[in-house]
Amino acid sequence: MFCDHLDLGMTRRDFFGRFALGLGGIALSQLLPRSLSAAGAVNPFAGILAQPHFAPRAKRIIYLFMAGGPSQLDLFDYKPLLNERNGQDLPESVRMGQRLTGMSANQAQLPLAGAQFQFARHGSTGAWVSELLPWTARMVDELCFVRSMHTPHINHDPAITFFQTGHQLPGRPSMGSWLSYGLGSANENLPAFIVLISKDRIDQPLYSRLWGNAFLPSIHQGVQFRGGSDPVLYLRDPDGLPAGARRLMLDRLAELHARQFEDLGDPEISARVGQYEMAYRMQTSVPEVADVASEPASTFELYGEEARTPGTFAANCLLARRLAERDVRFIQLYHPGWDQHGSLPKRIRRQCADVDRAGYALVTDLKQRGLLDDTLVIWGGEFGRTNYSQGKLTADDYGRDHHPRCFTIWMTGGGVKRGFTYGATDELGYNVVENPVDVHDLQATLLHLMGIDHERLTFRTQGRNFRLTDVHGRIVSDVIA
Amino acid sequence: MRRLPLPTRTFLAVLIAPIAVAAPAVDFNRDVRLILSENCFPCHGQDAEQRKGKLRLDTREGQRKEGVIVAGRPDESELILRIFSPHEDEWMPPPESHRTLSEAQKETLRRWVTEGAAFADHWAFIAPKRVEPPAVRDTAWPRNAIDRFVLARFESEGLRPSPEADRERWLRRVSFDLTGLPPTLAELDAFAGDREANAYEKVVERLLASPRYGERMAADWLDVARYADTHGYQMDRPRAMWPYRDWVINAFNRNQPYDQFLTEQIAGDLLPGATRDQRLATAFNRLHAQNEEGGIVDEEYRVAYVNDRVVTFGTAVLGLTLDCARCHDHKFDPITQRDYYSLAAFFQNIDEAGAISFKGFSDLMPPPVLKLPDPAAESQLTQLLRQIARQEEKLRAGRESAALDFDAWLVARSGDGPAVEGAVVTLDFDELCESGTPNSSGNYRFAKVVDHATLGDGVRGGAALLNGDNGFSLADVPVLTRGDAFSFSLWIRPAAVADREVVFHRSLAYTDAGSRGYELVLEHGRAAFGLHRHWPGSSLKVVTLDEIPAGEWTHLTLTYDGSSQAAGARIYVNGQSAAVEVVRDKLGGDITYDREKQPPLLIGHRFRDSGFKGGRVDEFRLYARELSPLEATHLAGRTDFKEAWQTPATQLTPAQRVALKDHYVRTVAPAVRVELDTLARLRREYVAAFDAVPEVMVMEEELRPRPAHVLTRGMYDQPGDEVQAGTPGLLPPMSPPSPRNRLGLAQWAVAPANPLTARVAVNRLWQQMFERGLVESADNFGVTGSTPTHPELLDWLATELVAGGWNVKALLRQIALSATYRQSSRATPELRARDPQNRLLARAPARRLTAEMLRDQALAVSGLLVERLGGPSVKPYQPPGLWEEIAMGKPKYEQGRGDELHRRSLYTFWKRTVPHPAMITFDAADRANCTVKRQATSTPLQALALLNDTQMVEAARLFGARMLEQGGATAASQARWGFRAATNRTPRDTEVSVLVAALEEQERLFADSPEAAEKLFSVGEAKPACVQPPARLAAATMVASMILNHDEAVMRR
Repeated sequence: MFCDHLDLGMTRRDFFGRFALGLGGIALSQLLPRSLSAAGAVNPFAGILAQPHFAPRAKRIIYLFMAGGPSQLDLFDYKPLLNERNGQDLPESVRMGQRLTGMSANQAQLPLAGAQFQFARHGSTGAWVSELLPWTARMVDELCFVRSMHTPHINHDPAITFFQTGHQLPGRPSMGSWLSYGLGSANENLPAFIVLISKDRIDQPLYSRLWGNAFLPSIHQGVQFRGGSDPVLYLRDPDGLPAGARRLMLDRLAELHARQFEDLGDPEISARVGQYEMAYRMQTSVPEVADVASEPASTFELYGEEARTPGTFAANCLLARRLAERDVRFIQLYHPGWDQHGSLPKRIRRQCADVDRAGYALVTDLKQRGLLDDTLVIWGGEFGRTNYSQGKLTADDYGRDHHPRCFTIWMTGGGVKRGFTYGATDELGYNVVENPVDVHDLQATLLHLMGIDHERLTFRTQGRNFRLTDVHGRIVSDVIA
Repeated sequence: MRRLPLPTRTFLAVLIAPIAVAAPAVDFNRDVRLILSENCFPCHGQDAEQRKGKLRLDTREGQRKEGVIVAGRPDESELILRIFSPHEDEWMPPPESHRTLSEAQKETLRRWVTEGAAFADHWAFIAPKRVEPPAVRDTAWPRNAIDRFVLARFESEGLRPSPEADRERWLRRVSFDLTGLPPTLAELDAFAGDREANAYEKVVERLLASPRYGERMAADWLDVARYADTHGYQMDRPRAMWPYRDWVINAFNRNQPYDQFLTEQIAGDLLPGATRDQRLATAFNRLHAQNEEGGIVDEEYRVAYVNDRVVTFGTAVLGLTLDCARCHDHKFDPITQRDYYSLAAFFQNIDEAGAISFKGFSDLMPPPVLKLPDPAAESQLTQLLRQIARQEEKLRAGRESAALDFDAWLVARSGDGPAVEGAVVTLDFDELCESGTPNSSGNYRFAKVVDHATLGDGVRGGAALLNGDNGFSLADVPVLTRGDAFSFSLWIRPAAVADREVVFHRSLAYTDAGSRGYELVLEHGRAAFGLHRHWPGSSLKVVTLDEIPAGEWTHLTLTYDGSSQAAGARIYVNGQSAAVEVVRDKLGGDITYDREKQPPLLIGHRFRDSGFKGGRVDEFRLYARELSPLEATHLAGRTDFKEAWQTPATQLTPAQRVALKDHYVRTVAPAVRVELDTLARLRREYVAAFDAVPEVMVMEEELRPRPAHVLTRGMYDQPGDEVQAGTPGLLPPMSPPSPRNRLGLAQWAVAPANPLTARVAVNRLWQQMFERGLVESADNFGVTGSTPTHPELLDWLATELVAGGWNVKALLRQIALSATYRQSSRATPELRARDPQNRLLARAPARRLTAEMLRDQALAVSGLLVERLGGPSVKPYQPPGLWEEIAMGKPKYEQGRGDELHRRSLYTFWKRTVPHPAMITFDAADRANCTVKRQATSTPLQALALLNDTQMVEAARLFGARMLEQGGATAASQARWGFRAATNRTPRDTEVSVLVAALEEQERLFADSPEAAEKLFSVGEAKPACVQPPARLAAATMVASMILNHDEAVMRR
C-alpha cells in the first residue's frame, strides 16, 4: 500500500516525515505492495514435494556420524572365539580372497585380535555392549542395533562419500541435501540441513562435498553451524553497525526493490525481497538456537559440563536437540577420530568418552521432550574394523585396519524397533551371516521413514534421473516398528 | 510382448478409435522419441542385458516386429493396446517401473501410429544441414541471419519481438557476457553519446579485443575442464596447474580456432613437432581429482581417472552422457559398453599411477609431467647438458689414454689383493647387540633392528634373518642422487619364490611415496633394480630374466653409472653380468628427498609393501662408485680377479688382460677418477637445477598401447573382452588416415562429418549469451536430451562455425549484434504466462550474475580490482578456520596480501574439498566433474554473503568513498553516481530519494556512535584515501552495500 500510493512528486521531507523513522518498527509485509509481499513470503527453503509420498514415521533425522570407522568388535559385536584364537593367523577360509587395504595387504601375518575389553549383556533385551560405552549400555532397550552393515569400499574417501551421497566418487548430492530437496525446511527461519562437526578430533579429513548439494540447487547444501559468534558463514553483520542500521538499510533496499518490481514485474525480484527478510531473520534465529546459555542446569547434568564448550560432541548433541525442536529436517554430526590403525586400546577409550554420555543424553533428552517418536537418531561410521591386528599384536596393544564386510550401527526413534538387534556376523566377526544391510538399503530405509520413496525422489541431469540410492536400495522393513 | 486376448483388443479398438484432431502432424524426433526413451527404452532399448521380451523400440526394425506397431492401425498395434489397456497386468509401462504415461503422451503415441508411425534417427546423430535463413514478413527487425530464424518462429507463433533494450542495459549485458565485468561510467557515457551507425559494433569489437574476454571465457571452460588447484579426494594437496588455466585464457584471447583449441587439449602431445604450449594444453586430460589416501588399490583409481577423461570428453566435446555406458550398454542412446571402453582405450595410454604419492612423503606432481623452465633456467639446463656431454666425451678420451698406462700399472700393482675398495656401508651381520648390528664402514656404527629382526646362519658367519615385516635400518648413509654412480653387493637367500619381496631400499614408502628412491625387489623371483622418482611414470628399472633360486645363497652386485639411463644399470648374478629386461627407462627427476625427510637405508621390508619373508641377507655393501665386472666376480667369491691379479703381467691370458684393462680404465686410473668426479659434479648440478623447474601434469603417449578391456559392470578388477581404440558406432567412423590414438580421436571429433561437436560448441556459446542453450540440456544431446527450440538455427550456427574456420569471436559477435540479443528483458505478464522459460526468445533473458561476476563487479566499482593476466592462484578473504576444521594435517589458509586480495575471481584458489564458500553459495560448479551449466539460485545465504563477506564490506567502503569523492557535491548526485556505477542504469528520481534518505539516516546513526564507524573501517585491508567525516563514510558504505545488493546490481537484465 505504501508504494502503491507513493506520490512520485513527494518531497524528501514528506518522505522522511511520514516513513523514515517508522520503517524499522513496521512489519515489512505491511509496507510493500501486496503482490510483492505475497511472493516474497514464499519459503526459499521449500522442497519439491507438495507432500511426502506416504505418511512419514519420522519428521527429522539426527545422524551421529562416527567418521573414521569405529571398531564394532570392541564396542558391540562380541566375539569370544576371537579372544580364544588371539594371535593366530586369519584363516583364508574366512577371508575368502577379499581385498584388503594397501595398509595391511602386504603384512606377512594377519594375527587375529580379540577385544581387550569386557563385554556384558544389558537391558531387558540383553544386548551386548562393551565396557567402553557404559552410558550407551544403559539405553540399549531404546536402540535398534544393525550388526550386519556392509559396504564395498575399503578406504575412507570412497566409503564416506558413498555413505553420504550414495556414490563413491565426488559429484553427487548428500543425503541431507536430498531430504532438503524433497521435503524442504519445516522452519522458515532455518535451513533444512545443518551440519555440526566436533572440533580437534580430525584424524582423517572431512570434505565439504559430504554435505554438498552437487547438482541440486545450492539452497539444499548442508549449512555448517560452527562454534563461536558467527555460527553460520557470513551471518554476522560486520563489526561496527549501530543498532538498527541493518534493519533500516534492508527496509530501504526493500523500498527500492518494490520500485524495481513495479517497473519490471519480475517475480524474481519479490523472491529476492523474501531472501533478504529470511537472511535477516536468520541473523536472530541462528544465534538464538546456537546459544545454550538459556539451558537450565539440568541440561548440563544430563549432557555433562563439556556441553558448555562449543565444538565438543556433547555441545553438538545439545545443539542437535535444539535444532530438532525447531524442526530442522536433517542434522548431521561428524565426530572424527575413529581411525585406529594402531594403539587402538588407548585411543578408543578417549573416543568413547567423547561420545558415550552425550549420545545417551541426546536420546534421553529427546525422549523426555516427546521428540524421540518422530526423530530418527542414527549412530555409526563408514565401515568397520578388521578382526586381525594391523601392525604388531602385543599383550596390551593392537590396531585394526578398515573392514568393509561387516560393521555395527545403532538407530533409535521415529519408526524403528527398539530393544532390537538385526543381522549377525560369523564367530570371528569377519563376514555377515544373517540379514545383510548395505549402505543403499540403509539410505532407502531412512528416506522411507521420512515418508519418501527412494525410487521416486529423483533429479534429472546429464541425461538421466539421479537418486540417492542409484539403482539399488531395499527397505529394511524388519527394523521398522 | 505377450499378445493380448481378443476381447480386450476389441474393447480397446473401440476405446481408442481415432478422433478428429487438427493438430500438426506428429514428428517422431520432436514428439515421440522422448516419450519412448523415458518410458520404454529402459527395458526395450539399446541395453541387451536389460531387454525384456526380446523387444526393442529404439530401432525401426524393432518397432515393426510382429505387430508391435502396425503403421496406420493403432487398434492392431500391440504398443498402443497395451498403453491404453484397462487391465493392470497388461499395462505398459508396468506399474512396478514407477513410470507412467500422461493421457497426452498416450494420445501422441496413438496419433503417431495413426499417421503412419514414421521413424527417424535421433536428430543430433545426423550431421547438421546448412539451411538458408527463412523468409520473414517483418524485414525491418532482423539485423542478421540469427534474427530471421528467431523471427520466423515468432511469426508462426503469433508473437512480436520485445522492444530494444535501452543502451545502458544492453551495454551492461554485453559487457558481462563477453568480459565478465561491468562497463565503466565513462564507457556508459561514451556509448550513450555515440550516435554513429556502428556504435554497437564498436562496443562489441572493443570487448572482444579486451584481455578480459579471455578471462571471461576461461571461467566457463574451467568448469568444463573441472580445473582446481588441489588434487581432491582425501588429502587434497595443492597442485600448481595454473599454467593450463593461463593457456586457456590465452587461447581465447588470441581467438584460437575452436577445432585447434579442442585438438590441442585432447592430443597436443601427439601433434607433429608439438610445441611446449601444445603439450601444456593436454593437461586438460589430467585435471580430474587424484587420490593419495593410504591403502587404496592403485588400479581402482587409475581406472577412475581414465573414466573421468572419457566422460569429460563425452560431455565437453560430444554432449553425450557416456558414463551411462560404463557398466552396461547405454539405456537410451545407441552407445554400447564396448563403445565406451573403445573410447577409454584412447585415454589410458599414459604411464600413470592410481595412487599418487602422499604429501607427507613427497608432494611431486604425478607423472607424466611437462617441465616449464623460464628462459634463464632453460639456458642453464641446456648449458649443463652440453657440459655433461663434453665431460662424457672427455671421460671416454681419458679412458683411451689411460689404456696407454695400463702396462705400467700392471707391472707396478702390488702383490697383495686384490681388494674391492671404498665401501661406504659394510654390514656383515655377524653380531647383534643392543644398538643393532655393526656397520664397519661409514660414520654410523650400527644398523638398528626393526621389529625384532634377528640373525641366522649366513654365507660367512651370521646373516640377517627376516620375516617380511621386520628388518635392519641404517641411518646417515651418504645421499646418492641420480647423478651419482653407486653399487651394491650382497648375498641373498629367498625362502620361496613370491610375487613380490622387498630386499632393500632407500625410500619412504611404496605407492605412498611413488617408491621414490632406489630399491632391490624380487618380483616373482626375478631381481629388479630400480631408481624411482615416481613409479611408474618417472622410473628406471631393470629386471633379470632369470629367477633367483629359493633356498640357496646367491650373490648380487648392482651397479649404476649416474647417467639416469637404464643402460647404465647392471645386475651381476654370482659375479656374472645378468641378462635383464628394461622395464622402465624414463627417470625424469631425482630420487632423493628433502633433507629433513631423507629415509634410512632399510633391509628386509618397506612401509605398506611386501617384505623379504623368510629371506636372509648377508655381506651387504654399498659403494659410492660404479664397480667393474671384475670386482663383481670378486665380491661373489669367484677367483677370476684374484687369479688375474696374482698372475705376472707376462703370463696373463688374453682374456685376463682384457678384464684387467677394463677394470683399470673404468675405476683405477687416476686421470679417469678425476674425470669421473667432474662428471658426477656436473650431473648433480643438473639434477638440482632440473628439479627446481616447475612441472605440470600432461599427457604423454606410451609407445606400446596398454591392453584395453571391457570392464564387467564397470569393475576395475573384472576385465572382459579386449577392445581396440575406436569411436562409437552410432557416429561416422574415423577416416582412414587418422591414427588410432588421441590425435586421431581429436581429428574425428572436429571433422565436418561429426554431427555433434560443432552443435555442442555453438549451443554452449548461445547459453553464454542467452542463459539457456538452444538445446537446454547442454550436457546431453542424446535421445533423452532436450529437443532444440530452434533446430534450424542451431544447425545454421554449427555450420557457420565450421565454415568460418571455427571462429569463436566471430560467432559471439554475430550473436551480440543480433536484434534478438538486443531485445529488452522486460516481459509483459502475457508473455511471461505464454513462455515462462523464454524458449521462443521473444525477450532477452534476465540472469543473476555468476559468483565470479558478482565479486568482480564489487571490486571493479570500488576501484580495488587488480587486473593482471594469469599467474599462480590467489587466496582472497575467507572466513577463518574453514580449512583447519575439516582438513587433515592442519593446512592453513594463508590469506593473500595486497593485490592478491583483489584479483579477478577466476584466480581464486580452488581447494576441492573446501572450495571458497562464497563461490559455492553463488552456485559456482564444484569442479568435481565436467560441468557445462551452473545452477542459478537465489537464497538467503547469498544475501548474507553479499552483505557481510569481508570482501564485500571492504568493497562497499571503497565504493562508498568513491561515491562521495566522485559523485558531485550533493547527496542526490552522489547517490545517482553510485547507483549508476554499480547497476549501470540511471536511477529514477524516486530511487534517488530512497538512497538519499538511506544516506542521511545512516549518517545520523553513525554520528551517534563514532566508534562504530571506526570498527566498520577496520574490516578488510584496503583503506580509502578519503577526507570525509567518519559518519559520512560509514553511511556511504552502507548505501554502497545496499546498491551492490540491489536487484539491478545482482542481475544483468
